[in-house]
Amino acid sequence: MDIELSSEDLAFRDEVKAFFDENKMKDGEDYFSWRLGWFKKAREKGGWDVPKWPAKFGGPGWTPTQHYIWEQETARAAIPFDLPFGLGMLAPILMSYGSEEQQERFMPDIRDRKVNWCQGYSEPGAGSDLANLKTKAVLSEDGTYYTVNGSKMWTTLAHVADWIFCLTRTDDSGIKQQGITFLLFPMKQEGIEVKPIITLGGSHTVNTVHFTDVKVPVENRIGEEGKGWTYAKGLLEHERTGLAGLSRSLVEVEQLKDNARSVQRGNGTLMDDSSYKSKVAELEIDLMATEYTELRSLANAAAGEELGPESSILKLKGTEIKQKIQKLTVEASGIYSPAWGDGGVGYPFAKGGTGGYLNSRYFTIYGGASEVQKDVIAKKVLGLTKGSKK
Amino acid sequence: MNFELSEEQKMIQQSVERFVQENYDLPKRVKLSSQDPGYSKDYWNSMAELGWLGLPFTEEVGGFGGNQIDTLVIMEQFGKGLVLEPFLANIVLGGGAIQMGGSEELKNEMLSSLIEGSKQITLAYAEQQSRFDLEDVATSARKEGEKYIINGQKSMVLNAESADHLVVVTRTNGGQVDEEGITLFLVDSDSKGLERNNFPTVDGLRASEITFDNVEVNSERMIGDPDKGFSILRTITNNAILALCAEAVGAMEVLYKDTVEYTQQREQFDQPLSDFQVLQHRMVDMFMEYEQCKSLLFRATMETIQDPSMAQRTIHALKHLIGKSGIFVGENAVQLHGGMGVTEELRVGHFFKRLLVIDSQFGNADFHLDKFTKF
Ligand SMILES: Cc1cc2nc3c(=O)[nH]c(=O)nc-3n(C[C@H](O)[C@H](O)[C@H](O)COP(=O)(O)OP(=O)(O)OC[C@H]3O[C@@H](n4cnc5c(N)ncnc54)[C@H](O)[C@@H]3O)c2cc1C
Ligand SMILES: Cc1cc2nc3c(=O)[nH]c(=O)nc-3n(C[C@H](O)[C@H](O)[C@H](O)COP(=O)(O)OP(=O)(O)OC[C@H]3O[C@@H](n4cnc5c(N)ncnc54)[C@H](O)[C@@H]3O)c2cc1C
Repeated sequence: MDIELSSEDLAFRDEVKAFFDENKMKDGEDYFSWRLGWFKKAREKGGWDVPKWPAKFGGPGWTPTQHYIWEQETARAAIPFDLPFGLGMLAPILMSYGSEEQQERFMPDIRDRKVNWCQGYSEPGAGSDLANLKTKAVLSEDGTYYTVNGSKMWTTLAHVADWIFCLTRTDDSGIKQQGITFLLFPMKQEGIEVKPIITLGGSHTVNTVHFTDVKVPVENRIGEEGKGWTYAKGLLEHERTGLAGLSRSLVEVEQLKDNARSVQRGNGTLMDDSSYKSKVAELEIDLMATEYTELRSLANAAAGEELGPESSILKLKGTEIKQKIQKLTVEASGIYSPAWGDGGVGYPFAKGGTGGYLNSRYFTIYGGASEVQKDVIAKKVLGLTKGSKK
Repeated sequence: MNFELSEEQKMIQQSVERFVQENYDLPKRVKLSSQDPGYSKDYWNSMAELGWLGLPFTEEVGGFGGNQIDTLVIMEQFGKGLVLEPFLANIVLGGGAIQMGGSEELKNEMLSSLIEGSKQITLAYAEQQSRFDLEDVATSARKEGEKYIINGQKSMVLNAESADHLVVVTRTNGGQVDEEGITLFLVDSDSKGLERNNFPTVDGLRASEITFDNVEVNSERMIGDPDKGFSILRTITNNAILALCAEAVGAMEVLYKDTVEYTQQREQFDQPLSDFQVLQHRMVDMFMEYEQCKSLLFRATMETIQDPSMAQRTIHALKHLIGKSGIFVGENAVQLHGGMGVTEELRVGHFFKRLLVIDSQFGNADFHLDKFTKF
């Protein structure tokens, strides 16, 4: 056991920091051209534009410690925004199960942030029970294309996506997990209708998507017909760890404390209030432990072990922490927490606080709801299945 | 010991319940909330005609001489529909202040039009620095002959946009956090130097930030005695806490019941969600929180009626529990609805938002816990 960063790691950290400093957005610079320029320079550093990709596919091939350093620094620095769907979700599937041809066709555009992807898994009847999905894909007689019919629900950013990666049912004769096929197709085509779902904060990010006779060439199928569940499952575990967002939470806790210190209470501030202070402390303690759970899981990964059930622990703890930060922000806003709309009254942080809190409620619902994550730990780690009587 | 409502109270309960059922489905509420004035003038007039607006006022001024239990009965039913009409601002707060401290002239002038629904009055008390402390008042009123000159700022004033008059809490003497030296005035909301910045709140209601720049008010418009306004403020905000908590109990009932019903209908893994024991137990917890809140609400209300001076500790306990439990019930109702819970389409999210706001009004759970421990 040893937590000392090596001199190489320290040098790496300095290099990362320097890179972020040098490539900050300048006053008056256009965001989108800065963003593309930033990724180009990151690429020249040797795959820093796709840090999580393995070296074989043009990634930097970092050690787990380097990844950890990168996460910590990106949480602190202002770096361009990225969506997870293409880069973090589809790309790993393409790398593991896509044909070489598919890799060449789709990965460069993902890397260049040219194509926006959305994830078409959930359906009205398939939430926690994802394998219950019913969107049908029927192979043409000549075997050249599928015809897709059905509905997806909760599809994040489907309204701005160029392509969708989609789980479809090609066979319903066996158990639910069989007969699922993984297809890729463009969103802007006839037969696809996207309708907004408005969420609690009044925002539009999720949608329902209806397919009517959408034709998908067989070349757009990942792997074999009927094996889509296996391909998607590995990805779900990646998605879970990604959702923990611990390094971001570390930064947000500091922000939370700064906010509380800006709220005057008598001769002191809200950070002197004993019950508020205790709640922030409990949150920090939780975060300290979870950070090391993540490090232990990274170390396992480095030793070549499979990403396993600890991804469920991280998702559970990480999302609880994020929700607590939001809750404490609302509490710090005090009488101003209900203020809504464009006005912006009271403390400067109050305005976004309540919206952030409401949005945070879905952290424990998407990417595998908390109750279901606990089921995974009970079954896979504690060995508790029906009939596991000793 | 008797927890039964009187025949009259039962009748009111039924008529409010029917009103809410007939008029307050979610689409209707959303529509009313989004257009001016943020509630229905027709509903407000019906409430006046049905006598609800006069319930807590004395018979001399045209009321029905009701008490906090009558208000509880109305507010609990309002909570089941998230009623938008400004009952709390006008009847409990604005009207309550005048009833308690207003001169005969002021009562005659104001209360009958309030009861008829033709005039609106709200309370402006909180300030940027005061947070939840009632006695922290910096807005000043300086005497000049027969007049007072008000300068300062008030925050998160409920329903001020529609109010014809404001009961303004000012400092006329003493230090910024002294209970002594606080004086209440009835100020016309179109007074010179008074400016309102109106905005929606996250629960679909409305509030305002208000500034006073040398606003003149005649000393006849003082409510209660000079420097002695704090006890009025304390009483009406305690009544407001009781009313809000009754509303919260109504909202919690809707949330736990909706969740029970939804989990029985929604199937995943080839069975209703309600078959999963972990969800059953969560719903039992929600139900128990609701029942506990209701018990403490009854306790605080009955103690207040018996002897308000002895009820303060219980009121702190109540507002603490309602804040904490309301959010617990709201968060779990959303969680157990899954994705559907975070949509604007289902009513659970709207009820959750209201409970979140209730916690922030008249002191949140932490604030009242702290006060409770100091008794
Ligand atoms: C904001 C947001 C964005 C999303 N983005 C996407 C996206 O881009 N693409 C996509 O495909 N999907 C997306 N989803 C869908 C998300 O993955 C599902 O919401 C999630 O899987 C839960 O399914 P559900 O909403 O149907 O809830 P349900 O499965 O109906 O669950 C309801 C409740 O029951 C509980 N429950 C379910 N099963 C069990 C059990 N066996 N034991 C105990 N409790 C149980 C759950 O924990 C939950 O509390 C998104 C969802 C949200 C809210
Ligand atoms: C001090 C004491 C005094 C008692 N006095 C009496 C008495 O006077 N008369 C009498 O008849 N009995 C008495 N009991 C017995 C008592 O009723 C049993 O202990 C009780 O019914 C639990 O049974 P058990 O101890 O076998 O635990 P188990 O039934 O084996 O339960 C063990 C654990 O599993 C949980 N569990 C069990 N079933 C379920 C389920 N379906 N769902 C979820 N969780 C479950 C329990 O909650 C518990 O946590 C007494 C027990 C104690 C400890």
